[in-house]
Amino acid sequence: MSRYRYPSIPESQVTPRELFESRRRFLNTGLALGAAAVAPGLLWPRSSHAWQGVLEARLDTQLPSHDLAGGEAPTSLRDITTYNNFYEFGTGKRDPETFAHRLVTDPWSLTIEGEVDKAGTFALEDVLKHQELEERIYRLRCVEAWSKVVPWIGFPLANLLKRHEPTSRARYVVFESIHDPDNLRGQRRSVLDWPYREVLRIDEAMHPLTLLAVGLYGEILPNQSGAPIRLVVPWKYGFKSIKSIVRISLVEERPPSSWEERNPEEYGFYANVNPQVDHPRWSQARERRIGESGRRETLMFNGYADEVAHLYAGMDLQRHY
Amino acid sequence: MDRRTANNLFRLLVLVGCSAPAAWLGWQWFFGDLGAVPGEAVVHFTGKTGLILLLLTIAFSPAFRFTGWVGFMAARRQIGLWAFFWLVAHMLAWMGLDQYWDWPWIRREMVELPYIRYGVAALLLLVPLAVTSFERVRKAMGWTAWHWLHRLIYVAAALGVTHLWILTRADYLLPMLFAAVLAALTLFRLIDAAIHRQ
Repeated sequence: MSRYRYPSIPESQVTPRELFESRRRFLNTGLALGAAAVAPGLLWPRSSHAWQGVLEARLDTQLPSHDLAGGEAPTSLRDITTYNNFYEFGTGKRDPETFAHRLVTDPWSLTIEGEVDKAGTFALEDVLKHQELEERIYRLRCVEAWSKVVPWIGFPLANLLKRHEPTSRARYVVFESIHDPDNLRGQRRSVLDWPYREVLRIDEAMHPLTLLAVGLYGEILPNQSGAPIRLVVPWKYGFKSIKSIVRISLVEERPPSSWEERNPEEYGFYANVNPQVDHPRWSQARERRIGESGRRETLMFNGYADEVAHLYAGMDLQRHY
Repeated sequence: MDRRTANNLFRLLVLVGCSAPAAWLGWQWFFGDLGAVPGEAVVHFTGKTGLILLLLTIAFSPAFRFTGWVGFMAARRQIGLWAFFWLVAHMLAWMGLDQYWDWPWIRREMVELPYIRYGVAALLLLVPLAVTSFERVRKAMGWTAWHWLHRLIYVAAALGVTHLWILTRADYLLPMLFAAVLAALTLFRLIDAAIHRQ
């Protein structure tokens, strides 16, 4: 099977970031001047690259950064973007890197519906313009017993949900990923019941650690990492952190999440990182940190127990895994 | 081309075909092309190569039956030993590159994890086959005993496919393919034996 290979360029031929950006600024200025001169009154269609421009401008500003991974060095960008589970592109770890260019992310809209007072479908740039962005460095622990440290850029999910005013009947938040089998080759086979779906309890969704990410390492989120907007729930196994979200529904009764539906014995609804509850087929006591040799001990709630343990007070975590 | 030259050429082809993946793997390792977790890539690659060669070893007898060409029988021991080599490499890669020679954990995983148990059992069953594969041992054992013993390859292959099956998370395409090939080969063997008994 032949596979597309990214051409590798020697370091000496890579344009330095400042040069690249000054060229972009130069071009943008030129374009703006030209447009202002030639086309006053002409309405430029802004359907394409609508949110990317908005986000790029925001990423160029100094964003607050919060280290929530105990000072550990982030995993390299290369490792973060070349070793992924994103079954929409295939089940191999390198399939997302190879095939993610087929994902069309701009224009993008997000539907917010169900038990909210302000439901609707919103262009991503309109969603973003109300949100303060920040960098958050989180540990990420996959159910397959590997982990990374990831510098995300995003905003708390709670800030978005509050804007849409959940009703008192909103007990769960359901997320749905894009469904586009023409471009997402993994969706042509029913490995999972597409589109991918994840669910959080409303208090988990409103928790300040729960993030909607739109950036990584100071740049727009790469497609294979779940562009343009994805969930990050750092105390749960990675599969809960759904990628490329198109729909958020607030509901009273919850549907099963995709992996839970596929195999409820192995992938629970809560899926909290817990070294004491093994996956039926492998141990969850240790993990492989990508980029390191050897194994580390897995931390309860992935090291976020102080912040989130109270959400599960009194629950039997062996049963509610 | 006389028969002996043809057999030798085929044996050479098996030699190259079974050792080339090692060269490829070494090349990829050296140039850092095995991805973010090269140790895992080595474990997966050696396991798949070993299982494919194990199934090919089994397939050499029906290939001989269908074509009547003795070259398959002449190369069967070699490919069987290559399968054993790759599966031993698979286990060593798992111990060293996945478990980092952490013996208490290796022991624990062997005891607790079913897919590891199946894999170890498959490899243990192949040890007597590899040991008795040499001409002198075969002669000393006698043809009948040797033949019976070497039917263990079907059991080992079934354990190997089971090992792959139960470590798969969601995409069963590959284990189903291996299982189908093994089922077809086993079926052929049973039918062939029934016909020859009459």
